[in-house]
Amino acid sequence: MTRAPLILLPLALLLGCPGEPAGAQATGASGATKVAIQCNWLPEPQFGGIYHAAQAGIFAKHGIEADVRKGGPDIPAVQMAAAGQVEFALAAADEVIRIREGGADVVAVFATYQTAPQGLMTHGEREVATLEELLQAEGTLAVQPGLAYVKYLEQTIGIKAKLVPYQGGLGQYMASRESLDFAQQCFVTSEPLAAEREGAPAKVFLIADSGFNPYTSVVITRRDYLERHPETVAAVVAALQEGWRAYLDDPSAANAHMHTLNGSMDVETFSAAAEAQKPLIDTGAPLGSMTLARWEELQRQLVEVEAVEGSGKPSDCFVSSE
Amino acid sequence: MKRLLPPMVTLLAALLVWEGVVRAFDVGEYLFPAPSVVAQAAADNAGALARGFGLTALGALAGFALSAVVGVALGAALAASRTLERAVFPFTVFLQTVPLVAIAPLLVIWFGYGLRPVIVSAFVVSLFPVIANTLVGLRSVDPALRDLFRLYGASRWDRFFKLELPAALPNVFAGFRVSAGLAVIGAIVGEFFASYAGDDAGLGLLVASWIKQYHTDRAFAAVGLASLLGLLMFGAVNGLSQLLLGRWHASAQER
Repeated sequence: MTRAPLILLPLALLLGCPGEPAGAQATGASGATKVAIQCNWLPEPQFGGIYHAAQAGIFAKHGIEADVRKGGPDIPAVQMAAAGQVEFALAAADEVIRIREGGADVVAVFATYQTAPQGLMTHGEREVATLEELLQAEGTLAVQPGLAYVKYLEQTIGIKAKLVPYQGGLGQYMASRESLDFAQQCFVTSEPLAAEREGAPAKVFLIADSGFNPYTSVVITRRDYLERHPETVAAVVAALQEGWRAYLDDPSAANAHMHTLNGSMDVETFSAAAEAQKPLIDTGAPLGSMTLARWEELQRQLVEVEAVEGSGKPSDCFVSSE
Repeated sequence: MKRLLPPMVTLLAALLVWEGVVRAFDVGEYLFPAPSVVAQAAADNAGALARGFGLTALGALAGFALSAVVGVALGAALAASRTLERAVFPFTVFLQTVPLVAIAPLLVIWFGYGLRPVIVSAFVVSLFPVIANTLVGLRSVDPALRDLFRLYGASRWDRFFKLELPAALPNVFAGFRVSAGLAVIGAIVGEFFASYAGDDAGLGLLVASWIKQYHTDRAFAAVGLASLLGLLMFGAVNGLSQLLLGRWHASAQER
């Protein structure tokens, strides 16, 4: 051991940790291409097809070794993909348009939900019958700050409720059982089902019914990664299509696995959510496919509510397997 | 003026390096915007930023004021009795270590949304340094002076207000200096969980909202303003310290 001062040890540790250069491809033990897929929420049925593809060896069959990473409210999945820290990430279509305007050249390759599963939920006993009535009622509405659909609803319907930050889960919802004048964002396939199990059934309104319907749980990658490794991206997309078809047919295996990673929802809720989301995913179009018309409409809506400037081309936002 | 020159030069140099690095490496705006871009975003969103600054300042100042008063009072109470100190002080240490992010949702349940939970959040985070420093200061009184006061038959109150508190002031202000910055952090974190949106949005909510929208330049502008708030509060504490201690204490004199 040299007599270098002890203080250099932390510096050596810091410098001695090389990161994987963006765009480089790692190869797994069997020669499969290693990719990381960063989810943008905790393991839930919205990622069922991805987890199924990983667990059931579908990725492996296509020569891919997929590391499916769980996300959460504070994990910037989209930025991680844009910066090249992960090869793939999950995002909402409006996030793709917005971050592209911020200078990140990412492109969507697979759209899980053809109908956006975002919704607003409130207490079942509350006297509101439509999305419009909910937004025009007094009270509080808990949403993550900065959501695109909130801007859209503000501009098209108008929101009278006071907007407060959504903290995740059902804590705020359950705390407002007395006053009832509380609503929050949700994925129609998860939080309302959990609320029912807690004995506080909710009224749910689908955001897509307002006309704002971005593709959701979209798998994105960097354009330079797509151009350098088109076969890898094609293989991942094919595996996702197979994985989702298998998950839609029988979600039990993947649900059991995801439940071990995310104990905040019980197994019954997992299967109820998997069932509830089927019509939002499987609408007759090939799984994961996207159309230019939908992307153009989304950009038009985002420009209308001044969420984006509209400087990008919708056709640059995605590649469809069609 | 010549006191401001060195830090201004450092600031200018840092900004130039930042701008240079971003341009040289063509860093994406969503990732790390250049100062010029941040300044433009600040100008474009001046209204929201000004309103946010006002709200966060209110929360931080109120929380700091509370922790100053409660902290000195508690510190004095603990200094008066060793038994009380042993019984209570470990729990004040707990105050310092409790992760704010974990209790913030509870603050919302107890105090609702808006300014009140933000003030409480700022208070909780900034209280401990005042207690700890006040305690140390009060206990560091020269025993010889304490004996002198007893010789002259001084009352308990006389001893506290004419000897112990003035002697402890430098330590108390050291506590205030740390506490001021912490109050800003507490207010910002509280706003992540409890601030209204729209016209009633504090700086913390603006940061969270703009980051989610990938307007990193606007978020940086808001963060910059939060830092400015901390700086201003720190400066105010220093100014007050100079006023009260300037004539007689070594720490305030330019020797």
